[in-house]
Amino acid sequence: MTRTNIHNNVYSRRRVSWGHTVIMIVLTVWFILIVIPFWNAIMLSFMSQGEGTRHPAALIPYGFTLENYKNLIARGGLGLAYQNTILISALGTAYGMLISTMMAYAFSQRFPGKRFFLLMMIFTMYFGGGVVPMYLLIKTLGLINNLSCIILMGGVSSFNIIIMKNSFENTPQALGEAARIDGANDIRIFFQIMLPLQAPLLATFSLFTAVGYWNEWFWSTLVLNKQGLQPLMVYLRSIVNTIDEETTHFSSAMTTRANVFPMGVRMCAVVMTMLPIMCVYPFLQRYFVKGITIGSVKM
Amino acid sequence: MMTGTLKTRQMSLGNRIWQARYLYLLLLPGLIWFVIWCYIPMDGVLLAFKKYNAKLGVFGSQWVGMTNFRRIFITPAAIQAIKNTLQISLTRLMVEFPVPIILALFVNEIRGRRTKKILQTVFTFPHFLSWVVVSLILSNFLSASGLINTVLESFGFQKVNILATVSFFRPLLYMTSNWKEAGWSSIIYLAAITSIDPALYEAAQIDGASRFQQALYITLTGIRETIVLLLILAVGGMMNAGFDQIFNMQNGGVKQVSQIIDTYVYEITFQAAPNYGFSAAVGIFKSGINLILMLAANFVAKRISGTGLFG
Repeated sequence: MTRTNIHNNVYSRRRVSWGHTVIMIVLTVWFILIVIPFWNAIMLSFMSQGEGTRHPAALIPYGFTLENYKNLIARGGLGLAYQNTILISALGTAYGMLISTMMAYAFSQRFPGKRFFLLMMIFTMYFGGGVVPMYLLIKTLGLINNLSCIILMGGVSSFNIIIMKNSFENTPQALGEAARIDGANDIRIFFQIMLPLQAPLLATFSLFTAVGYWNEWFWSTLVLNKQGLQPLMVYLRSIVNTIDEETTHFSSAMTTRANVFPMGVRMCAVVMTMLPIMCVYPFLQRYFVKGITIGSVKM
Repeated sequence: MMTGTLKTRQMSLGNRIWQARYLYLLLLPGLIWFVIWCYIPMDGVLLAFKKYNAKLGVFGSQWVGMTNFRRIFITPAAIQAIKNTLQISLTRLMVEFPVPIILALFVNEIRGRRTKKILQTVFTFPHFLSWVVVSLILSNFLSASGLINTVLESFGFQKVNILATVSFFRPLLYMTSNWKEAGWSSIIYLAAITSIDPALYEAAQIDGASRFQQALYITLTGIRETIVLLLILAVGGMMNAGFDQIFNMQNGGVKQVSQIIDTYVYEITFQAAPNYGFSAAVGIFKSGINLILMLAANFVAKRISGTGLFG
């Protein structure tokens, strides 16, 4: 009996390392498949027209030039697009988080009509009017070509509010009660006691909201199409379209004369747009991961 | 505490509302937000039964009954879009849904903590880029002169414009979607795995179970509930076949297989002479089916886990 057990263990251990190798190979391939397109894009952004066409699949740098970046910057608008996106993301996150946390805290307390208001919020997760009435509303409100439109319409999510509400419910209520006896009202209790206790959760949701604003492109494309108002994503889309048109209409004459490498400039634009997220993501990853795990606990 | 609840129960409604006045104040901005950005656009329900006139607005426009809805079912392009939506969603359910689960099981087998962290950081990263960025990176990668074609050519294959080939487009959707999202989705399963009682593994090891058997009978069984709930949630969202991705990746050449309800609504709305009533009707048709699917999903989820999907 004992002997067979030992035998089994040795046998399984051998199978472990074999299976483990297969798993590690699969994961390494997945890793490579994700890294390569980004890497290739970065390489191309530093390559000249000649080298770029000769080695479009470059994984090692063939030559090094900043011409593409110079060309992109010479087209103008990148700085302004950055400014717009940063403005939208910063103000939007502050606005969205303020509304959401206040609502979440209120929902964690007891008051007449709570069930009704909660259902009213949850219903929006099940049903929406769609793109058309939303667009007409924006038009009616006169928010076309107005940066604040994107800020105002985003930043709030029923799902996040429910998770934050649960988190407020799980904080000891005695702290708030003590302050209430000392004469503090709900607004003071919220801002001075309950909100600071939720700092880690706030960090997580602020990040999600900020990334959401950073990546917003759909409504921005429809609403902010005036030059100078474009956020990064819209700028990226329009610059790529311009380059595509240049290459098809003016064919080689324009590109060779200006020594422009269209793919290189496109990849410059891509790199410039994702650079900030790329730089901060590895350091903030644990906050992001926390966000999704808090949500899954609920489920 | 006890006296507190007793006291509130004895108070009149008006008194209780007055007591909670600051809570209502905290609630107010959020309520205004939901009314403006969620409830006012629900007038699209009315719009769908009207012939929209910009001068008269949604409420003043003329009623046309079911005309807009009837038109959906006699417009070939609309029918095609509905068909494509269902086909793409169903295939996504089959080929995209299992991938994060397998990935989670695999990542769970990594021994070194550092390796695990590095791999996870890379796997989850693409989720945080928008499809605008991702589609550009991938279109470079997949273009006629891109990396994939260069590799294929070196093996003696012909160059193909992968993105503009009808038969490649949908498989490409599923692959690129997995490429971007599977790593992120696997985190939910990994979180569920960490809550499995380690004693179960010890017991299984004593009984001589192999790693594979442990993964199958303990890990996979342990996250069964999470899998079922996420599956239900995915079914509830079936009418969304992935607008962001398809809108950014589609091109004229592949429209017959790529046009979904959302891209169709976009196309007919933001053109020279839009019929907002009809656009709204297509949108409401989609939202209506979505609502039914979500309610059904919620009902099933409640049956299984005791709580609904959204609290």
